[in-house]
Parts: sequence; C-alpha cells; structure tokens
Amino acid sequence: MKKFLLEEVAQCNGKNGNPVYVLFKGKVYDVSASFLWKDGTHQVLHSAGVDLTNALEQAPHGRDVLEKFPVVGILHDAGMSSTQSKP
Amino acid sequence: MARVAREMVEKAGINVDQLVELLVKNAAAELTTYYYYTILRCNLIGLEGEGIKEIAEVARIEDRNHFEALVPRIYELGGKLPENMKTFHDISACPPARLPKDPTDIKAMLTVLVEAERCAVRGYTHICNLTAGKDHRTYDLSQAILNEEIEHESWFSEFLGEGPSGHFMRRGESSPFVSKFLR
Repeated sequence: MKKFLLEEVAQCNGKNGNPVYVLFKGKVYDVSASFLWKDGTHQVLHSAGVDLTNALEQAPHGRDVLEKFPVVGILHDAGMSSTQSKP
Repeated sequence: MARVAREMVEKAGINVDQLVELLVKNAAAELTTYYYYTILRCNLIGLEGEGIKEIAEVARIEDRNHFEALVPRIYELGGKLPENMKTFHDISACPPARLPKDPTDIKAMLTVLVEAERCAVRGYTHICNLTAGKDHRTYDLSQAILNEEIEHESWFSEFLGEGPSGHFMRRGESSPFVSKFLR
C-alpha cells in the first residue's frame, strides 16, 4: 500500500482537479466520489487533504460513513503520529 | 439584514459567513428534496407503494416548510440565496434523492427516503452543535427542523423493518415543531 507524506495528502484537496483525500487514524481515504465532499470541502467547515481524526470524533456520524470509501494508502510516519494513539 | 442580531452571533464566537453558507446549503437540500420527493411520491404505487405514499407526502411538505423557515434566518444574518436555481441545486448539503432504477422496488425507494432523512438529521445536528448557547434563534430553528427530520427517518426506517421507534404518522397539522417559524 502506498505510503503518503502529510504534504502529499495535503495536495489532494479537491482543488484544480486534484483528488479528494482525507486522513483518518493513519489511513488515507479517497472520498472523491462523495457528493458531500464536492470541491474538497465538507459541511463548510472541513477541508480535504488534512487529518480528520479529531474532527470525526466530534462529527454527527461515525467512522462507518468514511469506511465506505477506498483506502488508497497510509501515512508514511503513521507510527509516530498522535492520530494513532486511539484505537 | 438584522444587523444587531448578526453582531450578537459574531460576538458569541460564531463565524457567521460559514454559518450562513451552511444554512443556504441546507435550504438547498430541503428544496431539492421537496422536488425529488415529488417524483418519488408519484411513483409510490401498487399495494406496497400506496402504503408509504402518505408519509412520503408529509415528509415532502414538511421539507418544503423547512426551506421556507430557513430563508428568513439566512437573510437576517446577512446572507442570500443564489440567483441561479441550478447553482442552488448543486450546492445542496445532501445528495439528490433520485428515483431508483426500479421504482417498483419498494425497499430501494425506502432506502432513498431514509438516506435523505439521515443526511438531514446529521446536518441539523451539526448546526445545533455549532450554535448551541451562541446563536439562540438559529439553534431554535435547527432544533425544530431536527425534530421533524428525526420523525421522518423513524417512519421510513420502520417500513424497512429496522426496528420500532414508537412513532406514529402525523395527526393534525404538518410541521408541529417548525410551524411557529412559518406564522
């Protein structure tokens, strides 16, 4: 599975024809096909290309919504990421 | 625009432009859902379809009411609706509740309906969470809409056999929670 640097994920922000990737617990999800991530933004407040681990904890939906989308890679330094601390 | 009302919300720490954008997107979701539910309702025929038609119609009318109730709040806060209807459709906070390929497949019809309601429940929960204790009027409105969306979800969910909710179909006027914003 491809290993991404944070900077690489950040480029996949849905702008200028880029795919829409989000990071959750060290995994990179491709949400380009989601109606709710059009143009790389979700519910006005959330942007693609960033780590949404903390945001998802507060969201009015569970991780199951995200898990419908393909995982295209993992964070290169996932072992050191604070996002890995929670199960 | 209600200048002081907007000022109060800003002073409470809310990004009003972001909130307005959320309200516009949810207003778009309500109006487009009203439109798509019209098509769904027309296709709810036959022994199974007719049994669902009435609640689909109530949900359709109440979603239109939600649109009507949201619009004044958008303008009070200094926002506006897009001039172009197509633009409005395309910025909807929820995916289009399109007619399934086989409209005689009642489970597929119910799935479209329940997914639309679930998107709305998430959306208004999000707005309630953002505005709680900060923007009392938007919170009150969003909570009223949320109450009705939860009931819609429950109706369709029960038809899908997902489990009882304790609800029964509307008796009396539609929009029991939102009607105070429509008078």
